[in-house]
Amino acid sequence: MEIKELLAERGLLIFDGAMGTQLQAKGLKTGETPELLNLTDKDLLKEIHRSYIDAGADIISANTFGANAYKLSHSGKSVDEVITAGIKNCKEAIEESGKPVFCALDIGPIGQLLEPTGSLKFEQAYEYFKEQVIAGSNAGADLVLFETMTDLYELKAAILAAKENCSLPIICSMTFEENGRTFTGCPVLSEILLCEGLGVSAVGVNCSLGPKELMPTITELCEKSNIPVIVMPNAGLPDPATGGYSIGAEEFSGYAVKIAELGAAIIGGCCGTTPEFIHRTADKVKGRKYNHRKADRVCTLCSGTKTVAVDRPRIIGERINPTGKKLFKQALINDDIDYILGQAIEQVNAGADILDVNVGLPDIDEKAMMIKAVKSIQGVTGVPLQIDSTIPEVLEAALRVYNGKPIVNSVNGEEESLESVLPLVKKYGAAVVGLTLDKNGIPPKAEQRVAIAERIIKRCEQYGIPKEDILIDCLTLTASAEQLAVNETLKAVREVKERFGVKTVLGVSNISFGLPNRELLNHIFLAMALENGLDLPIINPNVAAMTGTVRAFNLLKAIDINSAEYIAAYGSDTPAAAVKPAASDVTLEYAIDNGLKAEAAKLTEQLLIGNDPMSIINERLIPALDKTGTLFETGKIFLPQLILSAGVAQSCFDVIKAHLAKNNSETVSKGKIVLATVKGDVHDIGKNIVKVLLENYGYTVIDLGKDVEYQAVVDAAKKHNVKLVGLSALMTTTLKSMEETIKLIRESGLDCKVVVGGAVLTPEYAEKIGADFYAKDAKETVDIAKQVIG
Amino acid sequence: MTLDAIDKKEALRYLGCRENIDNERMISLLDECEKRLISAAAPKYLYEVFPITFEQGGVRIADSNILLTGNDAAEHLKNCSRIVLMCATLGQGVDVLLRQLQVTDMASAVTTDSLASAAVEQVCNKAESEIFEKVKCNSRTWRFSPGYGDLPLDIQYSLLSILNAQKRIGLTVNDSNMMVPTKSVTAFIGLSDGEVERKSRGCESCIMKDKCKFRKSGGHCGN
Repeated sequence: MEIKELLAERGLLIFDGAMGTQLQAKGLKTGETPELLNLTDKDLLKEIHRSYIDAGADIISANTFGANAYKLSHSGKSVDEVITAGIKNCKEAIEESGKPVFCALDIGPIGQLLEPTGSLKFEQAYEYFKEQVIAGSNAGADLVLFETMTDLYELKAAILAAKENCSLPIICSMTFEENGRTFTGCPVLSEILLCEGLGVSAVGVNCSLGPKELMPTITELCEKSNIPVIVMPNAGLPDPATGGYSIGAEEFSGYAVKIAELGAAIIGGCCGTTPEFIHRTADKVKGRKYNHRKADRVCTLCSGTKTVAVDRPRIIGERINPTGKKLFKQALINDDIDYILGQAIEQVNAGADILDVNVGLPDIDEKAMMIKAVKSIQGVTGVPLQIDSTIPEVLEAALRVYNGKPIVNSVNGEEESLESVLPLVKKYGAAVVGLTLDKNGIPPKAEQRVAIAERIIKRCEQYGIPKEDILIDCLTLTASAEQLAVNETLKAVREVKERFGVKTVLGVSNISFGLPNRELLNHIFLAMALENGLDLPIINPNVAAMTGTVRAFNLLKAIDINSAEYIAAYGSDTPAAAVKPAASDVTLEYAIDNGLKAEAAKLTEQLLIGNDPMSIINERLIPALDKTGTLFETGKIFLPQLILSAGVAQSCFDVIKAHLAKNNSETVSKGKIVLATVKGDVHDIGKNIVKVLLENYGYTVIDLGKDVEYQAVVDAAKKHNVKLVGLSALMTTTLKSMEETIKLIRESGLDCKVVVGGAVLTPEYAEKIGADFYAKDAKETVDIAKQVIG
Repeated sequence: MTLDAIDKKEALRYLGCRENIDNERMISLLDECEKRLISAAAPKYLYEVFPITFEQGGVRIADSNILLTGNDAAEHLKNCSRIVLMCATLGQGVDVLLRQLQVTDMASAVTTDSLASAAVEQVCNKAESEIFEKVKCNSRTWRFSPGYGDLPLDIQYSLLSILNAQKRIGLTVNDSNMMVPTKSVTAFIGLSDGEVERKSRGCESCIMKDKCKFRKSGGHCGN
């Protein structure tokens, strides 16, 4: 069975209505697991299925919504048992009716939120869904329905699990609120893009609202989706006092007519609907001729919360890339993910629409780092990502864990590259950058690059990658070395765009390599490239002239209507006051006490002329910090003030670090410390405060984040050969994890001390679980670090 | 539901400040964080009224398999025949904001975290007043949550399940019984046709509620 064929054969299809509502009406008790009835009350289930078949449903769903290993964990029943029974009841009801009705394996959310907000790992979610899909497929389901989803990331795990473990058609439906987004902030278009990209058969909306409230969402789905749309509204809105719903079967079916007219392919019901609702709906719309309209679409990327259409120049931020950046390399070696996150947020704030992510460095596990970087970055920003690696295995790992539709950077005209990368692009539904080079290198002439572009486009089409998702990079050469090539690049951009109608991308900054005043060349070249049809400049958005060039271009080309964005960006500009030299009465100590970040950084720069960096740290910064620390301990200042001071000291350290990196000197680290919030614990603000303070005192913190596996702590302590490990836990329930982590550290025979802290810890308890130190706050952790490391 | 302003005094209390703050930098930090928090938050709550019965070992909710175990919940609910079971959350947007701030600006992160804790209590207060416009009773207790006294935290999962909290407001717990999104609350309020114990009654039901000098200073009269 395939949905498209079925639609061609039967016209508009009818899905069944609520199962839960029916079970409650027949006496399901509060708190009972409805799926267990598959085993204990087969006849009841068959009766409900039969009533929907008789009402006119083409597809009915088995009672398997919550039959996953997490929700069934206390039931004593296996997923396989419950799902097999559920599908069997469904199929028996169909068989007994003698009607050509199909059986859907119904799968809802697992019941836990995924990382980064929750602690359920993407990979674990995949395993839960895989178990359900295999059980349902073996039991004879005709299709898989993922419904009532609110997290795009969870839906992605579900779709991959279905695609990779069965051959059944997949239908996906998410639950949107009146603002057109799910609880996790997912917009309708992100759902459509993900589902289309992953080869889903139908996409849509169910639950949360009635048909009336869902109309805008349904309209958007029907307008923007290239695959058939499914709609299953509630019976209006619930009344919390009575538990009833606001509209009846006749009114519901009236809306169904409107939904059919909008272009939906499959209509059913959710909470509060009954066989009567489905019966009246089927009477009015079942079998209507279904004409699928193909949506007109430009390349659109998305994350779980945001979509970016390349219908105008969009900035790709280039800063997450270690090439030529010492501090970045150091961060990668130290697993310092916060450094990368800082780079991400800075670029987004500066105006990046998309972020390129490249973490390739010899000596590090690029695949593991890429997974970590992608997962972490998508936890702090909704900007879509461009996954940048030369290794297909790394690309695939990132494509799996990316939440949305990314860009793959890149493929080139060599057959080997095309064969290894394009299948990944197709499988994960990404857009792809095609570099106009091949085994002979970058051809000098524009027409040669255009020829390679043509080859890439053709191969993409053979793999079934939609043309709108192909982005061609005509390659920027360095003007200092290849002056005449600049014009060839621009010519190629124009030609590729005009001839093939694809979008173009260029790394801009390379143009000025080896020349003075690079910023000038970069932004003039950017303007020239934009005028020749560049859509996706890869630039450093933190440079005001670069982002400004794109904004100005958009204004001058009447893309930025009424100059609104330009004015929003610059309208409130007061002429930038020249950075004032620090007044002579502002000392470093005064700046730290008073939270004056910029002044402190400036002062540090001045001090670095003629002073040894270590002496600045030991004689100026640390005594100043000690003073605020004492004020905090004695209750004269409070936590945010302490942290404000710490933030100022941090900016001084950053200046010193940059200075040392520039002069190829050793770093100023006093030693490394591993910090982790223990497994199961998702509150890591306490640990992060400790981190800031430790870094202030010159320690290098290997921050493992939150919800950290016991073994990961041991591995990091070993890898970085640390003398001190800090563990944090917020709740009584996670103290056990702390104890287990310490136990494993001891068993591994590591020669390191352990300091613990957290709201519910006591010195006595810390001792009991085998910690060497208990720290009541961040300041005390610093004292302990001094004692252990020096 | 929307939040217009966040109780900064309460947030400062979480930060360990007992007196008023006159530090201008701190005040403007609080203002900035409040603005960002309000725009990131999507406060939601839901509730349902259930009958309860007392039995050996605790208090049973309706005819379900959920038992509020231990002495403290039973003591709190003495003389009550029903409970309002409620949960509230600020939504995932606040978790995203807190993650961003922890990377870029720890002082703001800490301040926003405390403001968010204050905000979710405000959501509960507002929810409670909305709920009791519809739910009538003679006397009621203050909000009691899993983890108070000897009521174990692992009841969280069941309480959220019977409220269908994931489906309706996107609220879940993880394996360690921590609520996700993190700025969330589960609680129940005992309803009595008679009188609940004075100590369980709380300020909301007190006639001195708006005038009480203890309450004004953030304290409690002890009854």
